[in-house]
Amino acid sequence: MNILVCIKQILDPEIPAREFRVDAAKHEAERGNANLVTNIFCENALETALQFREAFSDTKITVLSFGAATAEDSLRKALAMKADAAALVINDKTSNPDPLTVAQVLAAAIRKLGSFDLIMVGREAGDWGAGQTAGLLAEELRMPCVSFVDRLEPMNGGLRMNRQTDSGCEVLEAQTPLVVSITNDEHNVPRIPKVRDVMMSYRQPMTQWTLADLGYESEEDKYYEIVDLSIPRKESRCEFVTGDTLDERVESLAKRITEVTSAL
Amino acid sequence: MNPAGATRQIYWNISHIWVMYVLLLPALAIFVYGFYRQIAKWRRGTPAARFDQPRKRLELVCKHALAQRRTARDLYAGTFHRFISYGFVVLTIATTVVALDADFGTAIMRGHFYLYFQSLIVDLFGVLVLAGVGLAAIRRYLARPKKLVYTDEATWLLALISLICLQGFLLEGWRIAATNDPWASYSPVGNLVARISLPVMSESTLQTAHRFTWWFHLLLSFGVLAWFPYTKMMHVFTAPLNIYTAQLRPLGASLKHIDFEKTESFGVNSLAAFTWKDLLDLDACTECGRCTAVCPAHTVGKELSPRDIVLELRDAMHSDGLTTPIIGSTPATSPNALWQCTTCVACMQVCPVFIEQMPKIVDMRRFLVMEESEFPESMQQAITSLEKRGHPFSGTNATRIDWADGLNVKHISEVQDAEVLLWVGCGGALIERNQKVTRSTAQLLDRAGIRFAILGRDEKCSGDPARRIGNEFLYEMLAKENVEKLKKHNVKKVVTSCPHCFNAFRNEYPHFGGNFEVYHHSEYLARLVSEGKLKPIATTKESVTFHDPCYLGRQNDVYDAPRQLVQISSKATVEMARSREKSFCCGGGGGMSFVDEPPDKRVNQERAREALATGADVLAVGCPFCMTMMEDGINAQRGDREMRVMDIAELLWEASDAV
Amino acid sequence: MNDVVICLLNPTSFDRAAQGLAGAGRRLAEELNAQLTAIVLSPQVPGIAREVAEVVDKVIVVDQGEYQPEPALSALTETCSQQSPAAVLFGNDTYSQEVTPRLAYRLGGAAVGDVVEVTIHEQALRVSRQVYGGKAQATIELKRTPAVLWTRSRSFVPANRLSEPGSVTELSLEIPIDTRTRIVERKRESQSEQRLEEARVIVSGGRGIGGPEPFNDELKPLAELLGAQLAASRAACDAGWVPPTLQVGQTGKKVTPDLYLAIAITGASQHMAGISEAKNIAAINTDPDAPIFKHCRFGIVEDYRKVVPLLRQKLQALQNSQR
Repeated sequence: MNILVCIKQILDPEIPAREFRVDAAKHEAERGNANLVTNIFCENALETALQFREAFSDTKITVLSFGAATAEDSLRKALAMKADAAALVINDKTSNPDPLTVAQVLAAAIRKLGSFDLIMVGREAGDWGAGQTAGLLAEELRMPCVSFVDRLEPMNGGLRMNRQTDSGCEVLEAQTPLVVSITNDEHNVPRIPKVRDVMMSYRQPMTQWTLADLGYESEEDKYYEIVDLSIPRKESRCEFVTGDTLDERVESLAKRITEVTSAL
Repeated sequence: MNPAGATRQIYWNISHIWVMYVLLLPALAIFVYGFYRQIAKWRRGTPAARFDQPRKRLELVCKHALAQRRTARDLYAGTFHRFISYGFVVLTIATTVVALDADFGTAIMRGHFYLYFQSLIVDLFGVLVLAGVGLAAIRRYLARPKKLVYTDEATWLLALISLICLQGFLLEGWRIAATNDPWASYSPVGNLVARISLPVMSESTLQTAHRFTWWFHLLLSFGVLAWFPYTKMMHVFTAPLNIYTAQLRPLGASLKHIDFEKTESFGVNSLAAFTWKDLLDLDACTECGRCTAVCPAHTVGKELSPRDIVLELRDAMHSDGLTTPIIGSTPATSPNALWQCTTCVACMQVCPVFIEQMPKIVDMRRFLVMEESEFPESMQQAITSLEKRGHPFSGTNATRIDWADGLNVKHISEVQDAEVLLWVGCGGALIERNQKVTRSTAQLLDRAGIRFAILGRDEKCSGDPARRIGNEFLYEMLAKENVEKLKKHNVKKVVTSCPHCFNAFRNEYPHFGGNFEVYHHSEYLARLVSEGKLKPIATTKESVTFHDPCYLGRQNDVYDAPRQLVQISSKATVEMARSREKSFCCGGGGGMSFVDEPPDKRVNQERAREALATGADVLAVGCPFCMTMMEDGINAQRGDREMRVMDIAELLWEASDAV
Repeated sequence: MNDVVICLLNPTSFDRAAQGLAGAGRRLAEELNAQLTAIVLSPQVPGIAREVAEVVDKVIVVDQGEYQPEPALSALTETCSQQSPAAVLFGNDTYSQEVTPRLAYRLGGAAVGDVVEVTIHEQALRVSRQVYGGKAQATIELKRTPAVLWTRSRSFVPANRLSEPGSVTELSLEIPIDTRTRIVERKRESQSEQRLEEARVIVSGGRGIGGPEPFNDELKPLAELLGAQLAASRAACDAGWVPPTLQVGQTGKKVTPDLYLAIAITGASQHMAGISEAKNIAAINTDPDAPIFKHCRFGIVEDYRKVVPLLRQKLQALQNSQR
């Protein structure tokens, strides 16, 4: 089975809120002191692929990323986790491509890389959280798509998988080729690569392309545009419920709680 | 009678002496082979440089092999051990003298020497040996302490030693009786034996008994000699050798470096991957059990047993090949046990023969972490956080500079000629409770007029947790980065409130070219007080007890500076029984503060009980891990009493700010 | 045409989420001076279409049987393209999230998810949503038509009832059979099996609780009332009052609830490390200086023993009045 896993490198989502800053002109987060990390759902996807290969050998795993030159580190880490091959499409155009652009570029790279039976994508990225890559990529590649998968295994003529829903889960059977988006599960926590593999990963070859190499031409019409990005002013001050009597104050508390829970 | 001519006939009553020499040969051969076999095994270990500074090493041997100081820390055991060992030294000298006179034609055994040394002193020391064995037997068979290893070998050895000794006295006594020795009174015990025997044994009986016992004594002695290196008695030779080749630096500098370019396999999972010194360690063990007795993990009921790790590895070394996997091969080396170590080095501090237990545990952790990536999940989170964020506290919402809110603390690039770099550490910056400690320290430095600066957001973990968990690779990366950073800013003096950072900077960073003057904040603050730059006045009537951090006290020998500060801040201080070098770990080191322990086996709770038992109002600490662990530990004890846990800097600031 | 379409996929009832969706659809339609149409795909219960018709102008029912990803997408594409809408709105259920980007692609439009607000700005549709893990708010202008959006519809105000209900038509489509993917089993999880990490409301107790009994007697009933999961700080677990599986924090579970009610918890950063992604934190604590309050949206400084029983009463009353 030929698996392709898409990987996105993002700013560390766990930087303290206090250090998070936004570039109001560029409409994106400032790099600041934040580190660059692989999106967790992408790591979940890679882990799922690796476990798939452990259980059902004769599987090749390629990782692909579309991003800045720094995304190479994420790909090296994927190689250290023992992915077989890696490819990077360097984004030398816009800093924050919209979901359609991402899907189109990834599709072009995938076509150039070969033919794949299964394409795995993280369900969403920890920065913009658009969650569209899997669906749009499936459309570009004319493949079916299943979202929020956490486990899969081969089945006669295809794949059998489990996916999470808001009320529980579902089991699906699907034919390949297929695009899936992966969500996190207690079983796909990404493994820590062995130190030796980390050292080796830097010596492995990696395909690198520019957008021109792919022959990618961006479309005339944009998909969408970020027109504003701001940090909402957080009330760091706790609202202490008011009231003259205990009864009044607890009533106030109950109301506030109900406000939040009823919106769920 | 002229004492100048006093002597005795060697080999009186004994003929066919040549048999002795014939029997000696195989005994010696087996004896020598025993050592040869072991030495060959040690030599298959990897290199280690342990022959530098011979003078210092000889000093250690004199103190601890000859004077047996560490052994004597346990007064009872130290006493009987000295009795037995010194007794045997004397007996061996005496026997050597006899051999010289017998085989080399000397005449040493004459006159006053013969009377006072060869007879009197030797008799007395023979008694000491028997007394020693008796005391040892009482402990082993009546008291039965858990830390000892109860083997048949131990019983046989005690029995044989006492038998050989008794035989010696019998031989002496029967000779005295049969020859009517004029100098009998110089051999009190022999004399006693003679007096008892004479009435019941005829001259011929005496001769027969003597002859028989002489040959039996010879066989037993040669037998024990041959058996010697195949038992723990080997320590007679391996212990002094082990002490000679001991690690000379502070205990905090005990871990080894790895050359990542040249090493085939990281960490240790076979005996051949240990250094020759590690393998020598295994043969130096006397099975005293003190290491396990003081191990904090073991004390609270966990499996970890440093003694068993050493002994089970020793047995493996004697029987298996040196290349078979060791982790998990015996109960003591199970990963479960290895992950319980807090790296407090109480085991190393107490070992009478200077075995290095903790580095072996870390060596095996290195294999599990770097070769297999198999280690507890909570530690994995800490390591991942270190790689991604430069600190081990995943999920924290604090920044490196939150603690400095409202204080005028500057980044090192903004301070010309800063005297001191205040290294805050991850704990001091990102753990809420410890932010107060950092504040107090900064305020004290400011009050004392010290020009100091911080690295602020540029600070990254010292690498200590990574190193102790076993990810030496990550540790090296962090250490090299930090050294570069400090050099770039021309840092000369570093003050830190975290003993783990302190240990890293002082003992481990020089390996990467980082040579700085490093102080724990207690040392530096104590100096400021003595220089009059800080003038604290004790305002509180609370009583305080100080918990020595393992990485400050035992691992770096700093015990007094924090105590000075505690004394200043409070007039009423009290010591816990397990204090200074015997301090009982808080349970936070070795990556253990990231692990959830079973609720009934928590190291910090054990120490908390001890702290509460002192009756003090305040527990003073000097480490962010101790702070967290001890607060948790004390909170978990359902007592009526509250005990405040305060860092010594906070106490000092309270005493200084009141002015 | 410029209509606004709302889509309900396999609905079991005209629930709060659907009502909110209709409300948002109506308000948008009004701004666009357009009609509001609802596509109800395979209602699971009869009569839903009628209920929806009370608040929308036109209801189109497309029955495809139980939801299957590819046929549902085809059906929606076909139905939507017949309407030529300006905007297509969905709720935030699983199927809606899955379908939206692909539907946008097939309709030649653009999609955005997790939308909390929709506005018109100079003839263009703009939406806002949280990004960067809730740390920032983005305003996105859709550059293609239709705008296909999945939204947090539960938080929208429902639509008003129309004086005259809208029309209801059944549409039958010839959708080519596509079994490349097939849902073969659907499992519903009962409340108690829910994992703490997935809980949307959590009631958590700390050191100040004082013992195991109040967890059972006070906090658990409160949690049940709120449909919440029970959790605890390390101190409470250390003391053995609750099993360690309930521990939230640095060493413990990391949770992402919409509401985290911290009862008698100091709020040290190791605990906060486990709830840094909580959307709303509220606290009951006797100490006004407790660090937890710095992270709270609201709270009360009072002994939990006095607050919690009373709180349960009040909450029950409020719940009853909402039915």
